[in-house]
Amino acid sequence: MNPDVVGDIAWAGLAPELILVAGAVSLLLLDVQRKPGVGVLWGSALGIMVVALALGIWQWVVAEPSGELVFGGMLLLDPAAAFARLVVLVVSILAVSAGRGLFAHLGTRAAEGLALVLLASAGFVLMAASQNLVMMFLGLEMGSISLYILAGITGDGVRSDEAALKYLLLGAVASAVFIYGAALVFAGTGSLSLVAIGAFLGGYLLLSPAVVLIGIGLITVGLCFKVAAAPFHVWAPDVYQGAPAGIVGYMAAVAKVGGFAALARVLLIGFESFRADWAPVVAAIAALSMLLGAVMAIISADIRRLLAYSGVAHAGYILTGLASGSSGLSSVWFYLAVYAVQLVAAFSVISVLGGPASSGSDLAEYRGLYRRSPMLAVALSVSLLGMAGIPLTTGFVAKLGVFLQAWQQGLEWLVVVAVLASAVAIYLYLRVIVTIYMQSPVTDDPVAYDRPTSWSLGLATAFTLILGVFPQPLLSLVESAGQL
Amino acid sequence: MLSLLVLTPLLGAAVVSLVPARRRELFLPLGMALSVAPLGVAGAMFFSFEKGRASFQMVEKMIWWEPWGVSWHLGVDGISLGLVVLTTLLFPLSLAVSDSITDRRKAFVIAMLFLETGLIGSFLALDLLLFFVFFEVILVPMYLIIGIWGGGRRVYAAVKFFIYTAVGSALLLAAIIALAVMHSSRTPEGALSFDYLALLNLDISSTAQMWLFGAFALAFAIKVPLFPFHTWLPDAHVEAPTAGSVLLAGVLLKLGTYGLLRFNLALFPEATVSLVPVLAVLAVVGIIYGAVVAIAQPDLKKLVAYSSVSHLGFVVLGIFALTSAGLQGAVIQNVNHGLTTGALFLLVGMLYDRRHTKKIDDFGGLAARVPQMAGFFLFMAFASIGLPGLNGFVGEFLVLVGSFPSLPAPTVVAAFGVVLAAIYMLWAYQRVFTGPLTNPANRNVADLSFKETAVLAPLAALVLLLGLYPAILLERTAPSVEAILDRIEQSTDYQAPSPGRLADVFVSTSQDGDQ
Repeated sequence: MNPDVVGDIAWAGLAPELILVAGAVSLLLLDVQRKPGVGVLWGSALGIMVVALALGIWQWVVAEPSGELVFGGMLLLDPAAAFARLVVLVVSILAVSAGRGLFAHLGTRAAEGLALVLLASAGFVLMAASQNLVMMFLGLEMGSISLYILAGITGDGVRSDEAALKYLLLGAVASAVFIYGAALVFAGTGSLSLVAIGAFLGGYLLLSPAVVLIGIGLITVGLCFKVAAAPFHVWAPDVYQGAPAGIVGYMAAVAKVGGFAALARVLLIGFESFRADWAPVVAAIAALSMLLGAVMAIISADIRRLLAYSGVAHAGYILTGLASGSSGLSSVWFYLAVYAVQLVAAFSVISVLGGPASSGSDLAEYRGLYRRSPMLAVALSVSLLGMAGIPLTTGFVAKLGVFLQAWQQGLEWLVVVAVLASAVAIYLYLRVIVTIYMQSPVTDDPVAYDRPTSWSLGLATAFTLILGVFPQPLLSLVESAGQL
Repeated sequence: MLSLLVLTPLLGAAVVSLVPARRRELFLPLGMALSVAPLGVAGAMFFSFEKGRASFQMVEKMIWWEPWGVSWHLGVDGISLGLVVLTTLLFPLSLAVSDSITDRRKAFVIAMLFLETGLIGSFLALDLLLFFVFFEVILVPMYLIIGIWGGGRRVYAAVKFFIYTAVGSALLLAAIIALAVMHSSRTPEGALSFDYLALLNLDISSTAQMWLFGAFALAFAIKVPLFPFHTWLPDAHVEAPTAGSVLLAGVLLKLGTYGLLRFNLALFPEATVSLVPVLAVLAVVGIIYGAVVAIAQPDLKKLVAYSSVSHLGFVVLGIFALTSAGLQGAVIQNVNHGLTTGALFLLVGMLYDRRHTKKIDDFGGLAARVPQMAGFFLFMAFASIGLPGLNGFVGEFLVLVGSFPSLPAPTVVAAFGVVLAAIYMLWAYQRVFTGPLTNPANRNVADLSFKETAVLAPLAALVLLLGLYPAILLERTAPSVEAILDRIEQSTDYQAPSPGRLADVFVSTSQDGDQ
């Protein structure tokens, strides 16, 4: 397939994203014209996402993603892209349905916030589907810029502003690093299309590969920043802590899905022939992320910083899957999907407890949560047990898949590091669970939350537990998504 | 039948969760009734178990996820048989004495039933991953039982328990993955497999065996617990509620010795033979250390806890004696220790319910007030010491007889453990139950109620039965034990010393055991 041929303008293949973007624009217009209530806006945003998800499922099941290049070779509509879209949309729906409180708090700016969520989702899906470094950058920026604004959208609090500014500045640096890397790769190979780059690098022996290697390195660093892998994670704890509680889970989850999908495409399609060069680096980043994330999370007193550091550790596990090459890709997808759901559920609970616009959540506020609200306590602890990788949760199956692949690819040392890191990490999740179940509450006030939140939490909890025991449907789904 | 056995407690938990939380008086009786069901199934399993067969029986297998070679694969043999029955027996008994649990009873009963599923599943699993899942999942309910319903330092004890075991099982998971991958690289089809029976046929290099043995042994040594990994045990035991202690000592610890026997010996015979000295020394140190520390304990519950360290040292010594008498002794001592120590923890719990203290000094002269309780305590103490005619004698005697030919020096030292056991047990009995009744608080202690007698009586009956007629268990365990020994002899140049087959004296059926 010649990537330079201008392919069809395949509107149908992009229908879910088009709906998201069109929906975002109409929400803004509707807000200007009619000033509808928050409920209407929130409901229509949810409706838009559900329609997009339905189309996404339809495309998966009926149209069967063929892996065709569309839009002049910019996008590749393959199972991986379709799967990333499903994950992003499911996460968005779970987060927005639990996040009504945040949009109510935003008042007149609710439409703005909802439109940004829709745009960010579309951006990260496009990033996951992109087959060209420029397209990837566009998707990355579309998603990231929306998230920068969302991080500071409440505008009421130093911490929130600090988080937004920090995220913007460091994110911009990362984007610059990424695009500079893309430029160097273009200089070295003469193409921005990943397929063409892959073919060029696989077909010719470069006498001085330094430029390309530096380019690969910079692109990897830029994307590692987006997924918060150590040592490029320093922004994550501050942003997770400062941004409004109602949106942090969403931000963290979709950025990881988009970032890892892009990383997989870049490394496994574009630079597959340089695998001997990048695999050790990726493995080292993975090991560092797992250990550093686990240790730093243990000494965090704020549950959001704790989850941020645990997210660094999870980035490490996912990179372990990537380091094992294309055979590890399906385990990466599985991990991403289940982790994204756990993350959103955990932050939904945090948002209910601390208030949707709050910054910072001291672990001490969670004392005796079980007595105040058993449902929230169970939802949070199931997510945490899932993240800890306790059997009978999806987290265990995800870790097992990654470890199996890595061991088969000869990364035994990395698996040993990973199991030890998860043993350390168990302590930090236990700390939260001890606080929830075994300490007496500060107050006895029951915690109030709306019905959509309880649906969202119930769904996420059921997802983590049921697919933890019978993961076969998701496993067979990711098996087809694991072929690039 | 085995799937039914594993799943009945889980169904029970589902039933309990449907009962509204305000009917709190219902939960304990309901939990007991529901846990009698698995006991019935286990009884049926015990009697339909075919004697004289070494291979797994009542095997059930369902593919769980083909590409990874994981399946729901259950089976029972002589090594797991007694432990499964013991597990199902101890659950209704421990629920029966949990009246003192007043807070969140519903959650307590559900946690107990989950724990039961996990324990039965671990003993029956023939798929390594399935075993790991059960093995690891047990931690969660046990952690909650200690951490929510335990004593003053419960959170510390629960976290310590969880961390210790989780660290051990982390490397166990890595080793299990290594085995599955090894299977895929050594077989023509290249398929991953976690199946125990398939992995038995793997030809593993001796270096790999050492590493894998180490990872498995660490996980199980922490569980046993073998010296020097035992420090979590006294904390967990002392802080756990009575039911928790009974199950911890009675069944959970047995997972460690069971794992050593089932996995380390069978899968890594070469490493086993070369590491015998290390494990034998650790076992003997544990026997003596546990006993000496037990003597010095001012707290009755802690005394029984340390006695477990000592008794399980015998089991490990018996396993690594690598003689059929030693292995037989280990298997039966596993069950014996569950019965006697379970009963001792029940008695300590009953004393605590009456006096809210476990300090030995607070008691004295109780025998006059509570003759039945004193009688049961003395009976179980004798069983624990190894008085002939009671079950402990059979186990420890077999272990010592079996170990002497292959490990003479450690056995001689270990034999002192029996003497020390007599010291700490009888001295504890003397200080608690005999002498003048000095503490006025002990005047009004009531003797065993009908229910408490009913809880202790079946344990006492089994202690006597296994002491007088051990063949009922031995003739079922012998073939499986011999099969493991044969496996080691075939795959290494190790030869079990000839007196090692002395178990034949006790068991007439073991000659035709290896089919």
